[in-house]
This record gives sequence, C-alpha cells and structure tokens, in this order.
Amino acid sequence: MRRRLFLALPALLPPSVARAQDDALTRLMRALSEVRERRSRFTEEKSIPELDLPLPNEGTLLWIAPDRLEKHTRWPIDERLEVSGGRLVYERADRNLRREFALSEQPEMQALVEAIRGTLAGDIGTLRRHYEVAFDGSPDGIWRLVLTPLSLRVRGAVQRITVTGEGAELRGVDTEGSNGSSRMRITPAP
Amino acid sequence: MKRLIATLVILAGLGGLVAWLAPPRADLVEFLPPGRTPASAFLFRELQSGAATTLLLAAIEGAPREELARLSRETAAGLRASGRFAFVGDGSLNLSEAEQTLLFRYRYLLSPETRTEAFTAGALRPRLEALLDGLRSAASPLLARFGFADPTGAFLGLAASWLGESRVETSDGAWFAASGAPRALLVARGQGAGLDAEAQQAAMDTFRAAFAGANPGSARLLLSGPGVFAAAAAGQIKRDVEFVTLASAALLAAFLYWRFRSFLLLALVAVPLGAATVAGYAAAAAVFGSVHAIALAFGMTMLGVTVDYPILLLTLHRTGETLPQTAVRIWPTLRLAAVAAAAGLVAMLGSGLPGLVQIGVFAGVGLLAGAATTRWVLPHLLPEGAKITARPLPSLAFLRGRRVLAIAALVVAGAILAITGGPPWQRDLAALSPIPAGQQALDAELRGQLGAPDVRSLFVIGPAASEAEVLSRSEALAEAMQPLVQRGLLSGADLPSRYLPSPDLQRLRQAALPQRTALEAAMGEASAGLPFRSTAFAPFFAAVDESRNLPPLGVRDLSEAAPTIAARLSPLLTRHGDTVWGIAPATGVGNALALEAAASALAVPGVMFLDVKLEMERLLAEYSRSTMLWALAGVALVLALLVAGLRGFRRGLAVAAPIAGAVLVTLSVLALAGEAISLFHLAALLLLAGLAIDYSLFIAQNGPNASSHGLPEDDRLGAVLTCAIATLLTFGMLSLCETPVLHGIGLTVAVGVVAAFLLACAMLPKHGR
Repeated sequence: MRRRLFLALPALLPPSVARAQDDALTRLMRALSEVRERRSRFTEEKSIPELDLPLPNEGTLLWIAPDRLEKHTRWPIDERLEVSGGRLVYERADRNLRREFALSEQPEMQALVEAIRGTLAGDIGTLRRHYEVAFDGSPDGIWRLVLTPLSLRVRGAVQRITVTGEGAELRGVDTEGSNGSSRMRITPAP
Repeated sequence: MKRLIATLVILAGLGGLVAWLAPPRADLVEFLPPGRTPASAFLFRELQSGAATTLLLAAIEGAPREELARLSRETAAGLRASGRFAFVGDGSLNLSEAEQTLLFRYRYLLSPETRTEAFTAGALRPRLEALLDGLRSAASPLLARFGFADPTGAFLGLAASWLGESRVETSDGAWFAASGAPRALLVARGQGAGLDAEAQQAAMDTFRAAFAGANPGSARLLLSGPGVFAAAAAGQIKRDVEFVTLASAALLAAFLYWRFRSFLLLALVAVPLGAATVAGYAAAAAVFGSVHAIALAFGMTMLGVTVDYPILLLTLHRTGETLPQTAVRIWPTLRLAAVAAAAGLVAMLGSGLPGLVQIGVFAGVGLLAGAATTRWVLPHLLPEGAKITARPLPSLAFLRGRRVLAIAALVVAGAILAITGGPPWQRDLAALSPIPAGQQALDAELRGQLGAPDVRSLFVIGPAASEAEVLSRSEALAEAMQPLVQRGLLSGADLPSRYLPSPDLQRLRQAALPQRTALEAAMGEASAGLPFRSTAFAPFFAAVDESRNLPPLGVRDLSEAAPTIAARLSPLLTRHGDTVWGIAPATGVGNALALEAAASALAVPGVMFLDVKLEMERLLAEYSRSTMLWALAGVALVLALLVAGLRGFRRGLAVAAPIAGAVLVTLSVLALAGEAISLFHLAALLLLAGLAIDYSLFIAQNGPNASSHGLPEDDRLGAVLTCAIATLLTFGMLSLCETPVLHGIGLTVAVGVVAAFLLACAMLPKHGR
C-alpha cells in the first residue's frame, strides 16, 4: 500500500513539484553519465516460487561508457554476460559454452539490460523508450527509479525493475517477475 | 498471282491456328529426360516442378550492417503480409505463441528422449540438478517458465534441434553471411507443392516489391533459387529464339532478294517453308501435346533447308519448259535429297531424349512436307509469264575437280583430330543449361552461406501409401545410415522424421510414459535434498498424464498450427495422387560415388539413394550411347538410300564422300575451338549430313537423269551455292545464340555446310561428261 501511494505521488503533486522532480532526475542522469568506467561487486538473491530457498550468487560488474556492460558471476557457478551495443555474449567457462545473440532477440533480457545500462549511461531517452519511469529521492543523496516495462510481452515476464542508488553510485537492482523475483546489492569494488 | 497470295494467306492462317491451339513453351521441364527409375523420375519431377521450386534465396548487400538488418526485417514483414509465402526465414525466426503451445503439449510424443528409463529416479536426478543449476544462471527466466512443467528438458531440446543448428550468424534480428562484405540473408518458400513458371515469376515480383517497399536506397537485392533459374533460362531461350528467327529471316530475305531481284521469288520461297513449318509444328504438337521453344527455334532453322527446294526448282528451270515439267524432271533428285535428309534425323528420333525427339519429328515432317509442296503445289502458283533470273554469282569453277585440295583438307583435318584427340565429350548436363554461369555461382554461394542443402545427394523414400509410412521408413533410414555417418561418408540427412515422428513411434513413446504414482515416487526420490517445493512439479505430472492419451500428431495438424516446423517438413514430403514420396537431402557428402555404393548396400525397403549429378551424367551417357547407335543406323540408311536411288554403289559412295569429309572437317574445327561435344552436336552432325546430301546430289554429275538437267555446270553450282549460303546464314545466326544447345548446333552446321559445299565442288571429276 505504501509503495503504491509512493508510485502515485508524482501524479498527485502540483506541476511545480513535478518539474522539480524532473530537474532532479536530469541532474542525476548527468552525474551518472559523467562516470565513464566503474567496477563493482554484487550479491544477488533469486526467489522462485517453486523453490523452498532463495538462490544466492555473487560476482562483479563492469561498466565502460557508452554501452558496454559485463556481469560476471563467480559463485556458485562461473558465468559471464557481456553486452556491447546490440550484441549479447553469454559464456559459461565450465561447460565450454559461448553463445552470441542480438539483444533484440531476447526481449526479457533486453528489458533488464537496458534498465541497468540506461541508468549507468545516464540516458533518460533510452529508459523512457523501454519503460515508464518514476523517480523519487535526491540526486545527491538516496534515490530510486521505478521502471515499468512498456512492452506488454516483456511485462508478461518482468513486471517491475527498481534501481536504487546514492549520488552517482548504484546500490541495488530489484526485479519482480511472474516466475520469481531477484534482489541485487551492489558495492564499489576496492 | 491470286493463287500465290491465297496460298500464303491460308498458310499464315493455319500457322496462327496451330500456334494458338498449342502455344510454344519455354520452360525446360519437358525438354529434359525422364529418370531411369521411378525414384529418379520422381526426383527429376520434384526438381523441375515440385516443392524444391518454391524456394527463393535472397541476399541484401551494399549498405551498413544496421541498414541491412532493417531492410531484411522490413522485407520479411512485407513478404509475410503478402500471404504468398508459406514460410519466410530472416533471423527473426521464432516459434509463435500458438506454435509453442502445440509443440509444448506434444513434447513427450515428439522428443527422442521419451523412453521408459528416462523417467526413473536415477535418470531424473541429474535433470533436476541441471534445472537448479539453470535457475541459478542467467537463463533462469526461460527455465522458470518451462522447467517445472518439463524438468526433463524435452521441449527445449526439441526447439534447439529444430531451430538451433543454423550456421547463419544472427544479428539485430537478421541473418548475416559469416564472412566477406556485410550481406543480409533471407529464405522464402512459396505456398503450395510446386510452382509453374508464372507463379514463380509472381513470387519473385512480390519479393522485389517487398524489398522496394522497405526504401532500400543504395542497397541491392540478389535473388536466387529454382524459380529464378527457370525464369532466367526461359528468358534466355525466348531472347535467342526471337533473335534467331528475326535475324535469319531478314538475312535470308535480303540475300535472296539481292540474288534474284524479285519479291515474287521471296513469296514463292515462303510457300514450302511455311507449309513445312505448319506441318512440322502441327505434327510435333499432335505427338507431344506442346512444342518447346528450343524445338521450334531449331526446327525452324532446320526447315530453312526447304528454302533450297524452290530455289533449285526455279534456277534449274529450262527455257521452253513449264514449271510443272521442271518439277517432274528434278523430282527424283529432290525426293532422294529430302528423304535422305529426313533419314538423317533417325538418330534424333532414336535418342529417346524428349527434346531431341521433338526436334526430329518437327524437322522430319517439315522436310517432307516442304519437298512435297515444291513438287505438287509450287509449280502451279507461278503467275503466267513471270520470269525470274538469278544474278550471277562469282564462278567457283576453279574449284572444280581440285581433288588434291580436297584430299589435303581432309588430311589436315585428320591430323588435327589425331593430335588433339578429337573434341572432348561433354559429360555434364549443367554445361548445357541455359542459366548464366554468374547466376549459378550466386546460388552456390547463397546456399553455402545459408547452410541450405544443395539438393544434390539425397535419399528418396517411396512410393508409400501414406505420410505415416514415409515417416516410418524415414526412421528406419535414420537408424540404418548411422554406420555411414560414422565412416564419414556423410554428416547427416534432413530426414522428414526429424520434424515429425511417425504415428507408430509416437504411440511407442506414449507407452513408455510412466503412470502417475510411479512418476511421483520417482520424482520424490530424485528431488530428495534439493530445494524444490513438493508442489513444484504438479504441471509435469499433469502433462505426462495428458500426453499418454493424446492422439498422435499428424502432418495436417502441423501444417495447421505449427507453420515454422511445417515449413521445414513440407518440402520433404510430396503427394502424387495416391502415393506419397519423401526426400532426405544428405549433408556433408564428400565422395558421392562411395556414398552411393554404401547406401545401396543398406537395402532399407522403399528407400533409394540418388546423386542428382551422377544420375544426370549416367542418363546423358545412356542417351549418348543410344544416339550414337541410331546415328550409325542413320548413316547406313542414308547410304542405302543413295545407293538405291542412284542405282550404283560407286555412285552412292561418290555422293557420300564429300559428306563424310564435311563431318571430319567439322569435328576438327570443333576440336580446335575447344568446344566440348554433346549429343546435341552429334544430332547436328546428322542434320549436316542430311543437308550436304542436297549439295552433293545436285552438284554431282552422275545424279539420276543427270543428262536431262542439261544446264551449264556453272548454273548448277550457282544454284547449290545459293542454297549453301542460305543455310549458312541461318545456322550462322544460331551459333551466335547464348543458349548452349542452340549455339552448339549452329556452330556445327555452319562449319559443316561450308566444308560440304567446297568438298563437293572439289571432288567433282576434272572434266565434264
């Protein structure tokens, strides 16, 4: 209930407040876009309704502007996902497996990738092309972007992606989908 | 004069009538041989008019990658919207929602993994561990969606085997060639089991329109496929036929006008030619149902010989004699010439090759009709008091009796043949194909890049009573050919049963599915210690229960609800009346001969291995052998006719000698030109022999009633020279054609006619009688 109210907030606010939020979002995007490269660690927990326990995993993230994102899971399996432009490379070293896809062929994956990549690039245009974007918080302090996929097909699988952060740092990406949800926590790599 | 005009009008009317009743056809189908066995006959029919003809391969190039991808997507969308294509492959190839639902429902009947032992706790445990592992990976959304209803992975395995083996690189929703300049690739398959030339043309037009509709800018569309080939071949033949007909008619008319300064003569010459054409065409149409454009072009040029007859009649006309009297006087020689020329066509009739037989009938009937018209009709058409005089030709008397020259020419020709070993023999039917080499190369390239099998080596399954029987035999073949795959003779085959198991096999799989209690127990044991909830696999249990009672999936169900899979299956299955045939193109074939030997040793009932190229070569060799035999028979027949007609063995040989010499010289010229000879050249040599008989007979002093010709020798030589030049003009045109068959025949005859005429002159006795 609280969350729903929270989401509805921008629409209920007077126009001047909405404009202030827009300005804040623009400032945040600019701050994010100024970081050209970042290395982070992540821990992730996937919850799937058919499983008793959540499935944890962890690894590293690498971002290189303008469009390269790598998610390297190191535990409990070694798996690497690399997105660059419109191409997606999936690698599983222990199985000697390497696959290359066009991102556009994998709409669910694309939804997730563009959420993180669009945020890291500070590219509000890309975000708005794929999602309905709701923003709250402050660009200098703690903030939150709630992204709802525009495509019906994608929304069948992923209902909502919530990206949280502090200043120009990403702190978390939460995904809620019909086949389970995941929570990812991110910290800068030492 | 009135009678002449009336005759021409009647002939024109008859010509128009037969052409309207049986218009000439330009597709190659009926011009090519039927197969040697039912299986090869089926295969040739398939290749010429079956499902294989509905395939269009396309490439888009000449723009940056992203632009090519966009063009590919939009062209494909246009093709799908047109409704003309059963299948369009462009890289966005995905199973539709409805198709996924159907195949998912039937997964345990379709999957080769469905065996009793696959549902034991021991076999399920690693599957569940793999599922858990998959749920941890980035592929978890996919596995969460399918994995709990299908923990054995039957469906994902099927989808991968149907769609995943493509060697094509996919990027931005389009297929790209793996190497070279950026090139987007598309495949489209037309509706229906086979397409005629018109439907193929329409499919190509739709394709080009869809491409143009995508605003291609500087990008180019390249199209290939059997339909494109057929259209290119038909276009080429049509151009050649029009060119030859118009150019040779114009040249011939110009020459005759120059020689005789008389339009009347042109009209007279047209009468036997027109009668011969109409009669030949009507005969061929009556025997074969329709006349092929190649037969028409070649037959017409051959009937150019009939121009000789009125020329001979008119130039051998003596003063103080009526034209009917002249006709009676020269008739024995004329008759012998026409019958001998027609006898020369025996080899064509005997070759058994439909196209050649057609030409033989056309030309044979035409020749006799032309001669008969000259004898009985033409003399009555010359208006009273009309006078036709020939302009003198340069005298060739100096050649007369130069036997040394003739012998020297023959020795040189013999030496050339001995040194070069004669012209090479053409074994490859493809070399006779009128399809431009560039187009053939593009096709090979696109097939390579798309991984589309070139339908060259394949297994033919059939005839069978039903699709189900073909599928069962295909399954037997799949098992039987495993040792061949292990020996590296082939890497595999695109079997119909790969896309749809036979009903029998589907029932066997149903029988292998466990009962619910047994399955629950096995799953309980297998998932011990794994974090799955007890309710997690309820959809799996329900699905196995349902699968046990499903009616087996048939070809019709697939074509209704699963277009992507049906599009892969349908070209492999063909129904002809009550029988069904299947094909399984082999991939990765190294040595076709070795594979053929091993495959025929398999002896799977109702399955035959065929290599199209080998089969074509054998067919060609067989036809060549029979043509050769019939050619010898034709030579014997012509000789016998000459000996009988001239009432003397020596006289017959004297007439035959220049003809044999002309054949020798022609062969040596072909050898020097590097022209590989086919049975079409062989037939042309026979035609040449038939033509040369005219010259030899009329030039030779010792023809029947020779004394009564009573014309100065120069006049006779002039008359024959006129005929030879007329023939040279028409066949010279033919040798300029691009269609290999027409070109070969034209070259052979043109060279031969010159040789025959000169040799006939030179071999005359030194002094007149």
